[in-house]
Amino acid sequence: MLICEGLSKTYDTDRGPVAAIRGVDLTVNAGRYAAIIGRSGSGKSSLMAMIGGLSRPSAGCVKVAGTDLWSLGADARARFRARNIGYVFQFASLLPTLRALDNVALPLLLDGRGQGARERAAALLEEMGLGAHLDAFPSEMSAGEQRRVVIARALVGDPVLLLADEPTSDLDEETEREIMGLLERANRARGTTLVLVTHNLALAAQAEQVIQVADGAVAP
Amino acid sequence: MADASGARLLLARLALQNLGRRRIRTGLLVAAVALSSAIAFAGAVIMRSIESSMSVGFSRLGADLMVVPLDALTHLTAALLVVEPSDSTLPADLLATGKAPGIARAAPQRVLRTDRSGIGTHGESVDLIGFDPLDDFTVQPWITERLPGAMGPRDVIVGSARTARLGTELVLFGTPFRVYGKLSATGVGTHERGIFLSSNSLLALAPAIQTQTGTLPPMLRPDRVSGFLLQLAPGARELQVRFALLSHHPQIKVVAGGSLLTGIRQGLSALLSGAVVLVALMFGSTAVMVGVLFSAIVSERRAELGLLKAIGARRGQIIGLTVLEAMMATAAGGVFGVVAGALLLRLFERSLVFHLTQMGVPFLWLDRLDMALSAGLCLVAAALVGMVGAFIPSLRASRREPYDLVRGDG
Repeated sequence: MLICEGLSKTYDTDRGPVAAIRGVDLTVNAGRYAAIIGRSGSGKSSLMAMIGGLSRPSAGCVKVAGTDLWSLGADARARFRARNIGYVFQFASLLPTLRALDNVALPLLLDGRGQGARERAAALLEEMGLGAHLDAFPSEMSAGEQRRVVIARALVGDPVLLLADEPTSDLDEETEREIMGLLERANRARGTTLVLVTHNLALAAQAEQVIQVADGAVAP
Repeated sequence: MADASGARLLLARLALQNLGRRRIRTGLLVAAVALSSAIAFAGAVIMRSIESSMSVGFSRLGADLMVVPLDALTHLTAALLVVEPSDSTLPADLLATGKAPGIARAAPQRVLRTDRSGIGTHGESVDLIGFDPLDDFTVQPWITERLPGAMGPRDVIVGSARTARLGTELVLFGTPFRVYGKLSATGVGTHERGIFLSSNSLLALAPAIQTQTGTLPPMLRPDRVSGFLLQLAPGARELQVRFALLSHHPQIKVVAGGSLLTGIRQGLSALLSGAVVLVALMFGSTAVMVGVLFSAIVSERRAELGLLKAIGARRGQIIGLTVLEAMMATAAGGVFGVVAGALLLRLFERSLVFHLTQMGVPFLWLDRLDMALSAGLCLVAAALVGMVGAFIPSLRASRREPYDLVRGDG
């Protein structure tokens, strides 16, 4: 279960503090598919970054599977992220010098769980339809293939929470459908809680729970 | 354990691959460090070789000052100071009680000229020179051949004009001695045919000498010496030391050696120290350059570092990755630098050293172990330059929130 209580984020700028997120409370039950929607600049990516333990909130707390993320130290939080949260960013977030297989195995290797990491990565890539691309470098793959590698990497640690921030914004419609299909399958088949950040209302319509963010707050 | 080493191996691979991504930049970094390392390695070896050559060469030049009794004769050559044998003596503790500042080393000598030592068949005159092997810096540097081991109480060193072979027996006043070493030609008569033994050994001969000659020469009394040879401390002025000595001991004569040579000795010592500082500064500036470069590299790779943090890389791993990358590049530079430095040394050997040797100026290279140590030190220094240079940028990156890095903020 994902719980946010009184979550706020204020950025210090040259023109003074700017509140990106203001006192957000939300709950997403375990295994659910939730979509966070809002216009550009509404604060939805900032909200996702705090939920994912990537950006420290100015106030409030985030609990993932009962653990208060921001009460952990930096290294403990990094370990928690590696073991419990998968990310799909809105850009092709693969390390260009690593093959697809190593990119997928990376979270396990960094977390010191190298035993069987590559076998697990290979199985996931097969599952994503990339069995023939295990040794391919990112530059040798299409945008859709790269995004599928990213999804495989997000799932390699069997996370309880999968966060996807505009995962299809730069893809064509057919590839978008493929990618969303993979994310939804992970949610249904694995029971992974899926939180999708999007400004695409059609995609959000597929979610079981829609959270609308406007001006840094959750709209009622 | 195996998993942790797997993570380290992965980071090492990533670091190596990162270097391969920007080959020209990596090449320039390696070249810059190689240049510094080559200069440092070749410079260190040459400096230390010069230093050891100097220590032999300058010690062969003798003392800076000599302290003798007021009425003693002295024989001053351009390179060496020799006390002429006489019955005038000084107290053995003269410099111990009133040692003037500016004296680095003081070597007492006892010089006895005798024709009754038993050497030769026709009452050959010979100078027996008693010195303290521990304090000596004017006799032993001239040894060209010696027996293994330290000089013992029954050992003597003979001048170059003597034909006695090493290990053979030489009888002085009825006491057998072993020829332990032989001096090379000094150009000074006293030394060419002299016999050098420790002061204690010479004093031990006193009863036999008294029996043979009927008198006890004054320099054979334990509390007397013929004179002292002095070496000035770096920075000490000859005139000041001489004045200080004379003001305390009016009964002595202070004779100066070649003041030009003293100046060269002191100046070269200062120059060598300055060169060491320059090498340190060069490595320091390379470290700053690596720091600037890695600030730019970290800035360029913010998104990647943010991604690594997002998927679980800990602070130590982020620092390790960046520092390792820098260390790999600078250590590679160190390896190339040592190789280039070795080539420079070869060039130096075939040019300047060859000419010096032709001119009869000795140039003593460091031995292989010291040279290998210098190479190793250069490699370590080069790797440290990478570590120091990349540490601050990587530390800063490791402290940033992953989201800020991914967005490319800051």
